[in-house]
Amino acid sequence: MMLPFLIVIPLFGAFSMPIVSLLGRKAREAWAVIVSLATLGVAGAVFYDIWSTKKVLVYTLGAKSPLGQGVDFPIRIVWEVDLLGAIMILIVTFVAFMAILYSIGYMKHDTGLEKYYTLILILELGMLGIVMTGDLFNFYVFLEIMSIASYALVAFRTDTWEGIEAGIKYMFVGSIASSFILLAIALLYGQYGTLTMSYLAAKMAENPTVVGKVALSLFIAGLLFKSGASPVHMWLADAHPAAPSPISAMLSGLVIKAGGTYALARILFSIYGTSVGMKTVGWVIIVFACITLIVGNAMAVIQTDIKRLLAYSSVGQIGYILLGIGIGLAAYGTNAGEIALAGAIYHTVNHALMKALLFLVAGAVIHELGTRNLNELSGIAKTMPKTTFAFLIGAAAIIGMPPLNGFASKWLIYESSAIFNPVLGAIAIIGTAFCTAAYVRVLYTFFGKPSERVMEAKDPEGSMLLPMIILVLAIIVMGLFPWQISEKIMIPAVDMLKDQVHYITAVIPNFIGGA
Amino acid sequence: MKSNDMGLIVKTMARTTIPLIGIFGVYIVSHGHLTPGGGFQGGATIAGAGVLLLLAFGLSEMRKRYNHKVYSVLESIGGLTFLGAAMLGFSVAFFYNTLWHNGPVLNGQPGTLLSAGYLPIMNLAVGLKVFAGLVSALAAIAAYRRWKE
Repeated sequence: MMLPFLIVIPLFGAFSMPIVSLLGRKAREAWAVIVSLATLGVAGAVFYDIWSTKKVLVYTLGAKSPLGQGVDFPIRIVWEVDLLGAIMILIVTFVAFMAILYSIGYMKHDTGLEKYYTLILILELGMLGIVMTGDLFNFYVFLEIMSIASYALVAFRTDTWEGIEAGIKYMFVGSIASSFILLAIALLYGQYGTLTMSYLAAKMAENPTVVGKVALSLFIAGLLFKSGASPVHMWLADAHPAAPSPISAMLSGLVIKAGGTYALARILFSIYGTSVGMKTVGWVIIVFACITLIVGNAMAVIQTDIKRLLAYSSVGQIGYILLGIGIGLAAYGTNAGEIALAGAIYHTVNHALMKALLFLVAGAVIHELGTRNLNELSGIAKTMPKTTFAFLIGAAAIIGMPPLNGFASKWLIYESSAIFNPVLGAIAIIGTAFCTAAYVRVLYTFFGKPSERVMEAKDPEGSMLLPMIILVLAIIVMGLFPWQISEKIMIPAVDMLKDQVHYITAVIPNFIGGA
Repeated sequence: MKSNDMGLIVKTMARTTIPLIGIFGVYIVSHGHLTPGGGFQGGATIAGAGVLLLLAFGLSEMRKRYNHKVYSVLESIGGLTFLGAAMLGFSVAFFYNTLWHNGPVLNGQPGTLLSAGYLPIMNLAVGLKVFAGLVSALAAIAAYRRWKE
């Protein structure tokens, strides 16, 4: 059984980092790379296992069976991974590996790096825990691990005023959001007396209560905070620019999805499932998604700071993912709902890849030129051709140009929203128009006349260039087989996500009920 | 005379109470599986002894007795021990309490000190980690910078 190694390896790496770093800088970097590479390997094996068998993988901590002796309900912590979880595991470990590889060159001039690598491994660990857990309190613990590691990493450069400011803002907002989630878990425990997600789902299907609905609203509120949806996206626009670039790549590519949209989808589909009015909940999500789409993308157009532009663009892309989840709920059981959900999952993966790439490129530019102001960056295509090419690919992918991976996922969302409700389709298109404007503006700057400042810049060193090249290749290769990926991976993931009865019976085999 | 420590009475009292706090903390940690308390509570109590040392004798004395690297390593040893205890029964499951079920040690009569399988080990590990972590955090804050540059 490979599953626990996804927790054991990063935990071991993080705990042993202070000892390893006594051996010096090289050892610590090598250790971080080895640990994250090993995690990626395990993640690949877990993904392949789940994908090829199409089974929900259940792992019990402490014993062989989750059920107590002589009773038919689970008493232990279970980890429960379906195909959606497996996709998230793979993308989290992949992008985290890229970010750690990139950090070797990027963080060269910083101090306190043993803490940096410990925190980045803890951040990866927290996200992996969130996506694999089947226990509600375990979920909360991993959510806090992820959040606290990211607060610390956002404020990592304590000698800059903006790091501290963004860190404080993120910490206050994030702690309030976490306490909403904890309150929701406490309410559910008080009402149903269990914390296992699948057993809770079974109990809730038998006996839906008002307390369950209050808890649901608290969950939605807290998780929309964490995913950076409008109108609570303000922490994100400060946190992402202030963090070191590999951290921005992880925050924007992974944290807001693992702790935000993934958790939302898991709680809405696997726990609440059919026991609440899905149409109402779906429309609540859709409303927030539309606001997020427009606000995020429109704010991206007017930014002059490259990382702030990318941060607002992340808010806009979260809007697409939320729109997919919302339509998936509101049009539950129809073809449009299924396509929308497949689009949302697909876009999660694609956006993780391309936003990671864009933030790594932005980091390379900042590293070489020391400025984030777009007005001073004109003409870097001349002196940093490889970096600019990577940005070109990333920008084209995020807009949704056909040969790249962003096209297919956005198409699925457009198509389903247009079938479901043409107004939503129109809003999605408007969002993309703003997004296009923002990125064309950046590209226009990059290809413009070289300014004085840009003349002595050059492409970054190998350890920073390699992750960018790998991400570009991933984007192009995924762009070549969009419908195959959608058919073979995303649609089965949707089927497994919607199959709540299977999610329950994977833990409680003899559960019979009208879930 | 400018001094950053406290007066004679406080220092003398601290000399006598620091060992007592430490012993009581160790008692809480090592009896975590029998009485209320455990790794976190005991670790925080022992860290209280460290805080008393810092407050009563001042930062200069603390600087002499506190080595950042040692505490950092102690903390990671605590974490690794916890992880190691969780891995002991890995052939059955992660966190499987194989010491309790199969021995060879810590599987005595429930209620005695050497019972409860991996729990005492984990309590010691957590206690060590909490103690080292809290003391390092407070030492770092105390040593941070002065009020003005």
